[in-house]
Amino acid sequence: MDERRTGWVLIVVLVIQLVFLAAQGSRQGDTVLERLSLRFLGPGARAVASLPNSFGGFREGLRTREGLQEDNLRLRREVEDLKLRLMQLTDIENEAHRLGAAVRHATPPLGRIRAVDVVYADHTSWLRTLVLYCGAEPAHKNQPVLSADGLVGRVVLVSGPYAKVQLVTDRAAGVGAMILRTRRQGVVRGSGRGSGGLELDYVPLQADVRPGDFVITAGIDGVYPRGIPVGAVVAVAQGGQLFHKIQLAPAVDFGTLDQVYLLDYEPLSAEIMSPDFKSPQKEPAPGVRP
Amino acid sequence: MSALKLTAALAAAVLLHLLGVHLIPSFTLFVDVFLVMVVLYALEGSSLAALLAGLMVGLLHDTLTSGPYGLFGFADTIVGYTTARLAQRLVIQRSTSVLALVSFASVAQQAIVAGLAFVLLPTPELPNPLWVAVKAAVCGLLGMLIHIATINWRRSAETRKRGRMSRLRLG
Repeated sequence: MDERRTGWVLIVVLVIQLVFLAAQGSRQGDTVLERLSLRFLGPGARAVASLPNSFGGFREGLRTREGLQEDNLRLRREVEDLKLRLMQLTDIENEAHRLGAAVRHATPPLGRIRAVDVVYADHTSWLRTLVLYCGAEPAHKNQPVLSADGLVGRVVLVSGPYAKVQLVTDRAAGVGAMILRTRRQGVVRGSGRGSGGLELDYVPLQADVRPGDFVITAGIDGVYPRGIPVGAVVAVAQGGQLFHKIQLAPAVDFGTLDQVYLLDYEPLSAEIMSPDFKSPQKEPAPGVRP
Repeated sequence: MSALKLTAALAAAVLLHLLGVHLIPSFTLFVDVFLVMVVLYALEGSSLAALLAGLMVGLLHDTLTSGPYGLFGFADTIVGYTTARLAQRLVIQRSTSVLALVSFASVAQQAIVAGLAFVLLPTPELPNPLWVAVKAAVCGLLGMLIHIATINWRRSAETRKRGRMSRLRLG
């Protein structure tokens, strides 16, 4: 093909890509081509992830037996402490259920949690992402992803057993959150400075916010349930005339993730989301005529 | 043959990228194996093949990032085509020229991606200029090393082939 024709091919290819990019809009991770591509790359990523991390393995190999014994002892003590704490919490949970039943208040269930493997993690570049291998039970779009420390992000693309995750530190991600101490709500976003930090936006200047305050999900965004740790306030400054400029340190160390948890959680039941949904007729109280 | 070469190069780039990220968590911050592969492939001189290689490699790269699908596809298509057109006009005699070419291509690619992100995303996060420079330098170095290794491998293959031919003639 001569160069002139190739030039035309280039223009056509670029225009198609631009239209494709513009048409995507907010429907991030919802293209057939991307799903196919993830299906193609997923097995390779999984095979590489199963290889030992030579640097880590080397470090582990250098650890003495004494060090391992110390670790073992410390972990045993931690397990004992956690067992006691679990007993206390179970007691509190039962009491909360009893009190809730007395006033006919049903706490929304948090949902089922299952562990999945991280097969690819890029948390340092400005277009950071995770790829998960979910096995026989695939993930679904917008499913919350957690670690033992807190919120990791949400699933944006599913292709067979593989799923791509948008991290909470992504500039394009938004999480409805609240300050644990004061219950003041705001929106958490990636700070966008390549540092992997977070910002809590839309908290008015009148609100009481202090460094060290814990921030948890508020359960108002229709994606994440309430109560998952997001991070802690590290700095508070006056951002503008209306809102604070609040910086957060994420609860999760994204560099150490090799396994995460998918949360099966339905913010609104499928029945309510259906366009045919009609609110149920209230039954008249006994003795009252309709 | 060209398709086979492209497939092999693509598989090598994917494997190197995945291994790099597995071993060094900040790997993507300072090197882009996919871009190096596109530029080296484009140096062969066929602009249509380089364009298509850039498109394919870029879309694969997009799968492993969180940005809109097609950011790297767009940038790598331009980089592949432009490099091939340059390679048709330039005679690359020194390996340092490859270093300069790959470094320049890396800066151009990052600028295109950042520009597109700025236009398309409501709250774009742009790359740190220091890391852009580091990435360009490391990509250039990697491209030069692969180029030298490829030339040496071709030379030794040629020598082996000549040796076999002369032995056949003698026999």
